[in-house]
Amino acid sequence: MLTALHITGTYAPQMLCFHLQSCFFNSIRRFGETETRHILHNCSKVHLYRTNMFPELNSILNSTPDSFKSSDFILVSDRRADASFLIHHYLSFYLRAGCKVCFLGLVQSFSHYSAVGQRLGVSLAQAREKGQLVFLEGLKDSFGVLLQDTSQETQPLSYLRSPGAGLEGLFRFVERSVRQSGDGDAGESWGPPVLLIDDLSVLLSLGVSVGAILDFTLYCQATMCSELQGNMVILVRCEEEDADDDEGSNLLQRGLVHQCNLALLIEGLPTGYCRDIHGQMEVWWRPRGETIYNQRKIFHFKVHDKGASFFARGTSSAVL
Amino acid sequence: MLLDVIQTVGGFILVEDTVQCSGRGLLRCFINAAVKRQEEDVHVLGFESPEAEMCAGLDSSCVQRLHFHKGFPDPLGWTRRSSFTIERFTSQHITQLFKDTQRAKASVLVVDSLSMVLRHRDPVVFCQTLQELRKGGVIKTIIGLLHSDLHQQGIVGIVCHLASTVISVSPADNERHSVAKTTRRTKSGKVMQEEEYFSVSEDATLSVQAKPHQPGRGQKEPDVSETDPTSNLTFNLRLSEEERRAKEKVALPFVFSQQKKSALLRPAPGSGRIVYEPDASDDFDEEDPDDDLDV
Repeated sequence: MLTALHITGTYAPQMLCFHLQSCFFNSIRRFGETETRHILHNCSKVHLYRTNMFPELNSILNSTPDSFKSSDFILVSDRRADASFLIHHYLSFYLRAGCKVCFLGLVQSFSHYSAVGQRLGVSLAQAREKGQLVFLEGLKDSFGVLLQDTSQETQPLSYLRSPGAGLEGLFRFVERSVRQSGDGDAGESWGPPVLLIDDLSVLLSLGVSVGAILDFTLYCQATMCSELQGNMVILVRCEEEDADDDEGSNLLQRGLVHQCNLALLIEGLPTGYCRDIHGQMEVWWRPRGETIYNQRKIFHFKVHDKGASFFARGTSSAVL
Repeated sequence: MLLDVIQTVGGFILVEDTVQCSGRGLLRCFINAAVKRQEEDVHVLGFESPEAEMCAGLDSSCVQRLHFHKGFPDPLGWTRRSSFTIERFTSQHITQLFKDTQRAKASVLVVDSLSMVLRHRDPVVFCQTLQELRKGGVIKTIIGLLHSDLHQQGIVGIVCHLASTVISVSPADNERHSVAKTTRRTKSGKVMQEEEYFSVSEDATLSVQAKPHQPGRGQKEPDVSETDPTSNLTFNLRLSEEERRAKEKVALPFVFSQQKKSALLRPAPGSGRIVYEPDASDDFDEEDPDDDLDV
């Protein structure tokens, strides 16, 4: 494995090569960068480079897999556009950062995320085997719940049978997944826990009330962010209804914006479909404890095969 | 008026906010002011934020008068870790809470947030509870935070109607301040309204600035200078002093100035005049100059 490696002059601590075996990666995480350099010192040469799929987004949000803010509740919402590329980004981001990830995939199958993850350079199957990723496959597991005669309150998908009862079962599943101490195969201890949900608005279609969903996210925030200092990323999809409606996805989105620390609001361009710009993203920083200074910025983005590029409005490559 | 409201004792004060601007900072100012007033006991029901966030920056010497009832990690009792759940938001439980710790005469109840309670309670029952708490005699002042964009307009209207003072918070153009619209109803029925800029500092003190009269005028930044459009050109657009004076002297063609008026009124020499000398046979009748009347 340690063949044909070459130390470049402009070596920076964040340079990691994800094509090397995962144990090498774990060595850097466990021993730190300087110790790994000592280990590599005896090798012939080391070439480390970074494959970063979302460089502009990382610089806009000022976060990298090595250094990101903890206790963050990130809300991703979309309207007339598809923001699921951000979920794939965050999934690979946190897996690379070595966090324990609990993913509630309610709308797509595991193989879908796995395929996209391969393109972004992470292997979901491997992460799941090692215990780093806990994946709730909503589509597959829902059959089991619907075909059973009785359902228990504590089952994660119990809302399918009794949507009025609330999401306590789902919360308990999340809590169990993130509270398990690191007991992977090699005795790994993972970083801070992360909860990813794709997507929350589908629960509205299944009959769960907005209040119940907001309670669920409040409990998740209390556990993940306040208590365990981990992060949460939730995707919610809004419909084109009247923005002041009192029921439905817009109300849910407003309630979640009240709770979150950072909101990424994805919308299609107001002027319509464009081949070179897929939409606009508004980044809304909402630090808790600071009431007044709410910073908002708008960027345009284009989604590629292996990532997305973000640029200031008017600076698309098609224009300049 | 906002600074007066912060220091008032008695009544139900409602802070309304939206996603655009959060009212929690203002709520912290209320808590800070109440705690600093020596004679009062302050009870805070925190359902949406942790104690650390609500009590950040408060004066540590006054903190004994502050009783924080932790609803936050567990407001619905799912994990049985909180001391106060939403179910216990009834007038009996709350009054009991106050009687257990009552030392001072006046008591203040702060609720963060009323939206959380309204989500789980029937609005009618909620209003009855609030009214019972107000009239109960144990609690003097109630201060609550309501997210007005999370409820139907009618419900927000009901809660505002119950309140003696409503403060609506919204963002201002200036990033450092927010706008607070205060509506205050006195016992005599008089309603006073005022809009002010305010900002909350880290130690939960409020600073208020009066709002300028024209709502459209934003604050101009002093260091932005206007660019001179006549500079950096390949042709000259500037005027010298002589040229400027000559330009101002020019009489515009279609302007009816005083000079033109007097020129028209004055008989100019050489203009046409009619001179008529009647002949001998001319019968010039003043009343019939054309000689065609059939008299």
